[in-house]
Amino acid sequence: MRLAYDARMRVGAFDYEAAFEAEGEVVVLFGHSGAGKSLTLQAIAGLLRPEAGRISLGDRVLFDSAGGVHLPPQARGVGYVVQELALFPHMTVGENVAFAVQGPRDVRAARVRPLLEGLEIADYEDRLPGTLSGGQRQRVALARALARDVPLLLLDEPFSALDASLRRTMRAELLRLRAEMGLTVVFVTHDLREAHLLADRLAVFDHGRILQFDRREEVFRHPRSRRVAELTGVANILRGVVTGYGPAAGAAVGSAGAPGSAGGLVDVQVGGALLRAPERGWRPGVGSTVDVALRAERINLRRGAPREIADVNLVQAVVEEEHAYGAGFTLRFRALGAGPALEVDLPSRPYEVLGVGDRKAWTLELPPEDLHLMPVEEGAGLPSVAGEDA
Amino acid sequence: MSLRSPRADLVALALLVGLGGVFALFFVLPFAGLVQRAASDGRVLDLAGSREVRAALVLSLWTGAVSTALAVVFGTPVAYWLARTNVRGRSILEALVDLPIVLPPTVAGVALLTAFGARGLVGEPLEALTGFRFTFTTAAVVLAQVLVAAPFYVRAARAGFAGVDAQLERVAYTLGASRVETFVRITLPQARPALLAGVVLCWARAMGELGATLIFAGSLEGRTRTMPLAILDAFERTSLGLSGAVSMSLILLVVALAVLVVFRLATAPEVTAR
Repeated sequence: MRLAYDARMRVGAFDYEAAFEAEGEVVVLFGHSGAGKSLTLQAIAGLLRPEAGRISLGDRVLFDSAGGVHLPPQARGVGYVVQELALFPHMTVGENVAFAVQGPRDVRAARVRPLLEGLEIADYEDRLPGTLSGGQRQRVALARALARDVPLLLLDEPFSALDASLRRTMRAELLRLRAEMGLTVVFVTHDLREAHLLADRLAVFDHGRILQFDRREEVFRHPRSRRVAELTGVANILRGVVTGYGPAAGAAVGSAGAPGSAGGLVDVQVGGALLRAPERGWRPGVGSTVDVALRAERINLRRGAPREIADVNLVQAVVEEEHAYGAGFTLRFRALGAGPALEVDLPSRPYEVLGVGDRKAWTLELPPEDLHLMPVEEGAGLPSVAGEDA
Repeated sequence: MSLRSPRADLVALALLVGLGGVFALFFVLPFAGLVQRAASDGRVLDLAGSREVRAALVLSLWTGAVSTALAVVFGTPVAYWLARTNVRGRSILEALVDLPIVLPPTVAGVALLTAFGARGLVGEPLEALTGFRFTFTTAAVVLAQVLVAAPFYVRAARAGFAGVDAQLERVAYTLGASRVETFVRITLPQARPALLAGVVLCWARAMGELGATLIFAGSLEGRTRTMPLAILDAFERTSLGLSGAVSMSLILLVVALAVLVVFRLATAPEVTAR
């Protein structure tokens, strides 16, 4: 069922304004705490009344400031799970889930039983929530939220109190439920990995605004702004100047012209190095300042003698710092000649095969299709000289 | 001797036992005195069955119960509202509710007179209209008890409601439960131990009410003379003197203890099942 959301309100220090939609998918609301994500869920659930806007679910209008509609939470038919789960401590698991269902005892049991079985908590039906483990309590909260046969599930950081392995299980469980029940899910998280794993579409929140709402890959690979790039964990955000427009796609160096790179290539001077990035429908003027986003895991390390290799999208650099994270390494490079400082993520295996532990000087290959140009925001990120003078 | 020395703990332990012993003795002695006096004075048991004493005891028990019931009926919504509201000046409101707790009961009695007495704010027009006056009525006893005792219930209930996570209520709404259903099925059961504690406190205070009742309701046998007033009365009369006071004190003590124990037993399962 299609959720259409559009709401505005004044909240504390900031103006909140957000609009997005969700239909038969998981939409993740991602951002730091206090960015307005939980507020959004409360507005959908009817626990909070926006000043203006319209919220509809299927053909039902839940809220419409113009029409004076504001359905109470009881009438919205929306499942809502909060981080603390809010299980009723004096009721058994079965009673907790049955609380959401109306009707005689056998009707409620007929509804509750399959839910408990589906979530593998039927054995705990007569237990009090306080006697269950974190993962079991999680399942009870999910079962209870689903018991009203809701088309829309709102989840507010429901897994953040679980340990990592349990979180993985619950995420898988959620995806299974979504597929089985045809649910529309709005999921709030500040965990980047969780957002990436669960999202079909992603809304990036910051200070009460949605900076970007798009398909997951689109947000992660083509952030609309420097701030989105920062929030979504882009380690390399490089300030550069457009120097010209290169050859059309396909004729470029290396693997340029990959699918999705519409139009030609833009030449950008970054710290003395020449980078060639796809236009993607945006043609900043020659001489204008842009930000270039490049995720740390997209950079290739090449051996080979530096001088033999062509110059475009290549930076000669040495490892200055390295951090081991078990599954991989984060390397910080300083350019030997011209070029920006770069951060590179490398899984353990290639790190060992390449012998990065012994050899410090490398040629870094910055694949054109992984470079993404963003407009420079006024007053955001790195201070521009002009901005400081003004 | 330094505080670090092992001997310091021994000294502290001795001090603790000594202080605790004296403190405990201080509480035990008066009751021991009561019992000893009752045992040595032959009239005590006879007095216990007298008409006067029976009347006072019955009056105390049922006015205490009615006052507590009124406190629960009128106080629960206020307590819940105080626990959930963010209204400005909430702390001032809470202080007002607590005021009778810190006020001497005689002040409460005088205040009641100025409101409901024969020349009072409400009392005078009420008498002119209906001919009813509070003085020397059992209703006045109940009013005095409610004013003095209800704050104990409201205070305990407010704390109890505040201890119930509001998130539970919000989630209950999204599960389709009305506000009333949520209150009855979610909030009340969780606040129950606190509410019961408040009931006990309130009832105990109502049973012990003397000052406000004496000033506002007077001391009329069978009508307004509750046990505390009857004890005072017996103490002042030469015919019975201390023996009468001792007898009734003992009765009040036993009855209060019995009620508390029964109440505890009746509500204990719910308290522990939490």
